Amino acid sequence: MTLLWFLLVLLSLSMYIVFDGYDLGIGVANLIEGDRHRARHMIELVATGWDGNETWLILLGVALWGGFPLAFAVILPHLYLPLIAALFGLIVRGFSIEMISQTENPAAIWRWMFGLGSLVAAFFQGFALGGLTAPTRIVDGTAMTTGGFPWYGAIMGATVVVAYTALGYAYLKHKSEGRMRSDAAVRGTVFAVIAVALGVASLLSIQGTAAPLNLSTPLHAGAFWAFLIFAAAGAIAAAVTFPRRGRTGSVSDWMPFGGLSVTAIAVLLAFTAAHYPVLVPPELTVTNAVGPDGSLTFLLIGIGANMPLVVFYHWFAHRTFGGKFTPPADSTGSGRPPRTVPLIGGQK
Amino acid sequence: MSLLALSRWQFALTVCFHMTFPAITVGLSVFLCIVYAVYWRTAKPVYLQMFRFWRRLFAVGFALGVVAGAVITFQMGLNWGVFGAKTGPIIGPIIGMEVVTAFFVEAGFIGILLYGDGRVRHFTMFASTVMVSIGTVLSSTWILAANSWMQTPAGYTTKNGQYDPTDWMKAIFNPAFVWRWPHMLLAVFISAGMFIAGISAYYLITGREKGFARRSFSIGIAIVALLMPAQLIVGDGVDSHVDGPHQLSKLEAEQGNWETNNTGWIVFAIPDQKAQKNYLQVSVPWLGSALQRDLTGKTPLPGLDMTPAKDRPEMAGPFWGFRAMFYSSWILWATAFLSVVLRLRNKLWTARRFHKWVLWTTPVGIVAILGGWILSETGRQPWVVFGLLRTSQAVSKLAPGSVLFSVIGFSTIYAVLLASYIVFIIRSVMRGPERDHPDYTPDLTPSSDYAAAVTTASSAQISAIAPTEGAARS
Ligand code: HDD
Ligand code: HEM
Ligand code: HEM
Repeated sequence: MTLLWFLLVLLSLSMYIVFDGYDLGIGVANLIEGDRHRARHMIELVATGWDGNETWLILLGVALWGGFPLAFAVILPHLYLPLIAALFGLIVRGFSIEMISQTENPAAIWRWMFGLGSLVAAFFQGFALGGLTAPTRIVDGTAMTTGGFPWYGAIMGATVVVAYTALGYAYLKHKSEGRMRSDAAVRGTVFAVIAVALGVASLLSIQGTAAPLNLSTPLHAGAFWAFLIFAAAGAIAAAVTFPRRGRTGSVSDWMPFGGLSVTAIAVLLAFTAAHYPVLVPPELTVTNAVGPDGSLTFLLIGIGANMPLVVFYHWFAHRTFGGKFTPPADSTGSGRPPRTVPLIGGQK
Repeated sequence: MSLLALSRWQFALTVCFHMTFPAITVGLSVFLCIVYAVYWRTAKPVYLQMFRFWRRLFAVGFALGVVAGAVITFQMGLNWGVFGAKTGPIIGPIIGMEVVTAFFVEAGFIGILLYGDGRVRHFTMFASTVMVSIGTVLSSTWILAANSWMQTPAGYTTKNGQYDPTDWMKAIFNPAFVWRWPHMLLAVFISAGMFIAGISAYYLITGREKGFARRSFSIGIAIVALLMPAQLIVGDGVDSHVDGPHQLSKLEAEQGNWETNNTGWIVFAIPDQKAQKNYLQVSVPWLGSALQRDLTGKTPLPGLDMTPAKDRPEMAGPFWGFRAMFYSSWILWATAFLSVVLRLRNKLWTARRFHKWVLWTTPVGIVAILGGWILSETGRQPWVVFGLLRTSQAVSKLAPGSVLFSVIGFSTIYAVLLASYIVFIIRSVMRGPERDHPDYTPDLTPSSDYAAAVTTASSAQISAIAPTEGAARS
């Protein structure tokens, strides 16, 4: 049961990384977008889904809280400052999205806030992930961090920002046409390449932290390398299709996003497999953090039964706004102009 | 300030900030759903106009509710790590249920509610508004179960310092929940009703968009008038069925007496916690006893001296929290009563002074809600889980500097966002619902973003995207 529950935590984390990843990534991409109209499109593109994407983060938090109360109580205070900073970013960007899409001529400041908030949120999420490798002592049920500046966090922060941005461009490529699509292809490829390089760097440098990879048993090593192979396959698929700017609507539209998502999840799983069952070094493991059976049963029945619905809602929301982005029209077909300008690249 | 005080301020700020938005959005989501249903059935453009106008105010408030809510969830671990570790087995799963049964429902359909207009069929639109309302109501249900468990814990045993669930039915339907949940639901509908009525009153006063203004005003004020009597009964029930038997210390502080000898009811007081007396107090004789169903005026209200000194809450919070709620409810009551009288005399649309009054009372429901929460949360002190876990023992052992950083950061962000939201509401209200009317033709100034939009977005393109049902209807 512990393992099952742990898998739910991982599932929420993976979903979060992929979905809010593209969402935050579009925010970062927005910072380097020169064209005001296109910047606005990018925001409209995330406006329909950001709430749902962020809900995975809440599920992650709560799954950890209900299933591994001790881990929740240790990890969060342990990562206090980066998490608080990430929350600051999330608050500001969420509000900015709605301020932009609910007003006709939003002040330029909201666009900056959207971009900066996304950047801060992404960086500190990575920073927090990296911070998990710093050793802690557990006193009275909460963490006392030991050790100096979490330099590893900084590397992870940068990696996450770049990786999210690559995901953001991949999503943009999938959802847009014309010049926006071709620009996304070029810029996205650059970000994807840097992300892979940074990923390799962080993989190598983790050996110098308090949480080096544990490849001592065949199971650990096997799982680690298997996931890494998946990651490489995803990256290659993305690398081949991302730069293509040919016909729209082909495989090369969705493959970059698919490939990068596979890579991101596989890297996460590889790291986890090489540390299992340790959650925070040196002493906190899955087994000593797990909650009582009564909670796990309730959670598994209640939440497990609801997961298909959750996935359905999520799928439904993305499907409703599926296809290439187009400005919304008026339901009565008269009068009111579309809320946004059409794509600069023109029509299909 | 101590680590404890900082953490408490930080939490109180965040929840109060969060609570402000559900106070508007839960009721508005149900309102939107009704309005859309009427539009769908009657095809009268004014209902679409109402839907669009109120949806705009809803959207931004909803976004703020979501982001602030996400913060609260993490704060349970960030600042209240010990609380998180001990109550995780019970509160974690309850809020987990909230996430999967409510938040995902809201999140899945909110996009359609906000942006689907014109892209999806009427049925899908309507279904989405229903789903979003179900989500918001379910959300209030679960969160109240969680919070009520902290007020009157039930269905658990203590093992290894953790509260382990033994009976989920008892834990969820704990004694406080059954009264506080209806109280809360009524509260959010009332405050949304006031919000709607207040803003519509502005249009009645300025004489703009009469059809829109009258309908919105009428529905808003009717909600308040219908629900206020029920709220008085339920609110009294909370006092006599929850606080009396289970949380006497809260009731004592709420009434403002240090000693058990006052048969009057205190209208105003400045409590002095150190000296354990009231600095200044105005008390109406007999009323306190009468409220306890003793009309002879002999039964005194319970005072804080009935609770051991170390278990006493600070009086000012519950006392003034309750007064804020209670006095607000008189204002609401008066408004509701007047509206009924005016309606019966067929003067609801012409009573100028009444409209002005309603405009000024727009936020009263929200004030009542915040007051109520301040009462219930500060009145629970010094416990975080009543009778089991003290707040002082529940706090994470962080560096005070880090917490100070977060308090300053959150206060700044909340202040700026709240101010922007208020400005946004005022601007949207001034601009008015005219542009939301389906027959509205925009005035195209070349500088606006729309100029480009309308000239390039050929209507052919639009109708190619939009499913045709909408177009057929016009
Ligand atoms: C699941 C739990 C939970 C829920 C649903 C709520 N609270 Fe609460 N509240 C707490 C859990 C809590 C807490 C963790 O127990 C706190 C933090 C420290 C404390 O004193 O209790 C608290 C404190 C606290 C304080 C400060 C009390 C003090 O410092 O003396 C206020 C003003 C509120 N809350 C207000 C609210 C509002 C407006 C809520 C509605 C959104 C709310 N609470 C829901
Ligand atoms: C301290 C207690 C609370 C916590 C931990 C909490 C947590 C949350 C979280 C995480 C969200 C964001 C969910 C999303 O992504 O949609 C949220 C939103 C929401 N909460 Fe709370 N909440 C609390 C109190 C309340 C109360 C008492 C109510 C009841 C009326 C309430 C009603 C809502 C609603 C309706 C939403 C949807 C967003 C909105 O309408 O603004 N919450 N809450
Ligand atoms: C005369 C009428 C009322 C009485 C006697 C009353 C009584 C109470 C009491 C005793 C509590 C504390 C519950 C506890 O923690 O144990 C409470 C909480 C609360 N009240 Fe009221 N109330 C009244 C009217 C209102 C109105 C009109 C509103 C809002 C429109 C409101 C909103 C709230 C809220 C939001 C809470 C906190 C949530 C909760 O504890 O359930 N109340 N009320």
